[in-house]
Amino acid sequence: MDMPNDVFVEMECFQLCHDGENVCGDDFLFERIENENRHLAVLSDGLGSGIKANLLACMTTTMALEFVRSNMDVLLSAEIIMDTLPVCEVRKISYATFSIFDLQIGGKSRIIEMDNPPFIHLRNGKDLKVSRQSMVSERWPDRRVNLAEIYAISGDRLIAFSDGVTQAGLGQAPNKFGWRREGALEFIQRKVEEEPEISARDLSQAVVMEARRHNKNCACIDDISCMVIYLRRPRRLRLLTGPPFRADSDAAYADLVRNFDGKVILSGGTTANIVSRELGRKIDMDMKLVMKAGSLPPPARMEGVDLVTEGILTLTEVAQRLEADPPLTTPVPLAAQEMISLFRASDEIEFVVGTKVNEAHQDPSLPVDLEIRRNIVRRLKTVLENKYRKRVLLRFF
Amino acid sequence: MSEPCKMKVEICLGTTCYVLGSFRLSALEEQLPPELADRVEVAGAACLGLCKDRNYGKAPFVRINGNRVVDNATIEKVLDALKEELEKCNE
Repeated sequence: MDMPNDVFVEMECFQLCHDGENVCGDDFLFERIENENRHLAVLSDGLGSGIKANLLACMTTTMALEFVRSNMDVLLSAEIIMDTLPVCEVRKISYATFSIFDLQIGGKSRIIEMDNPPFIHLRNGKDLKVSRQSMVSERWPDRRVNLAEIYAISGDRLIAFSDGVTQAGLGQAPNKFGWRREGALEFIQRKVEEEPEISARDLSQAVVMEARRHNKNCACIDDISCMVIYLRRPRRLRLLTGPPFRADSDAAYADLVRNFDGKVILSGGTTANIVSRELGRKIDMDMKLVMKAGSLPPPARMEGVDLVTEGILTLTEVAQRLEADPPLTTPVPLAAQEMISLFRASDEIEFVVGTKVNEAHQDPSLPVDLEIRRNIVRRLKTVLENKYRKRVLLRFF
Repeated sequence: MSEPCKMKVEICLGTTCYVLGSFRLSALEEQLPPELADRVEVAGAACLGLCKDRNYGKAPFVRINGNRVVDNATIEKVLDALKEELEKCNE
């Protein structure tokens, strides 16, 4: 079975909080509607900073996502958002900005913006000219809502940011008027030229860090957010874990390693042995790594495979690490660290799960409970889809 | 004089062996007495598949020269087994 769709939409947002605040006054939300081939992304900047701004921004993103999902009229959506937001005690206005992306792969995409810096549509290093239709609500005459319609294709990047980016360095030479959209655009173009396949995750982070660098003493005098949506050929990863239910499937199972266009992980000693035997490739395990590997068996190597690890314990550790919020502070065992980096650097992850159960794992005298492989993999699927926005496929063998 | 005896030790790092303490056996290499030090190669191994088979006893497992299995392995037990193998080899 080949994976569907040759375009993957990577959506990432990197943020820094206003100095002295614990939460960001900008908020973002993403949603992938698989069966409509639709991707939604919203970025909002709440008035001020801290909890109050965060609340305004979160209310805005939540409403905006809901409205755009149900294809509600643009102006009406904006009016409802503005009517709903609480009025700031100090400034006597209710205020939050937004950029809403409603991407249709292979079709027309809509971008709705209010008071955020205009988004960048980058194709082959150029900022495409986007025509915007401007709308004003009768009830909110000083607020302008812009609607743009574009056709996004593979290789395109859509970039939005809060004014923490465009106003970085405001008032100081050489950016008396801040970094501005032009400055950010130039930086992004240079970055993409240097690294044409830079991920949304890395690019959004680079923009935010560069914006902060423009501020005096690298301070965050505002919340700084950059959202990058990158349409590209998916980076694929296949993970094999567990021996197949039927021993006569071993050869077909091992073939999944040989004939794959992407990265491969083998997770499980028996799994690695089967592939090693069927493909005639050696497993290299460095005993010296054991003591440096932390609380898991060390990773091993095999030709044509990106990572070989132990199975159940490693997968369990990885699931816990991925799920943990806030992140666990204990040192990450080496094998788990390598697996997590491979997951994070992939768009589509396919788990091939051999369903034969190792009875020795069910021995009640073992000092730890070992979960059934299928359950851990399902946990991984859930967290990778929901929290890390990966496309995940599951196949039992 | 014949070739000196060489021995290979595989420490199983599969799940069962690992949770039952096989990682502690990685210190084996540093604890080899002089008569064994040059003759023994210690390596980790992906699951040796022994835990599934009741005939071999209890994990953690170590395999010497691809045929002798030490079950419930500790460094002392492995060293004893290695000394026996060395004697056999020298005979």
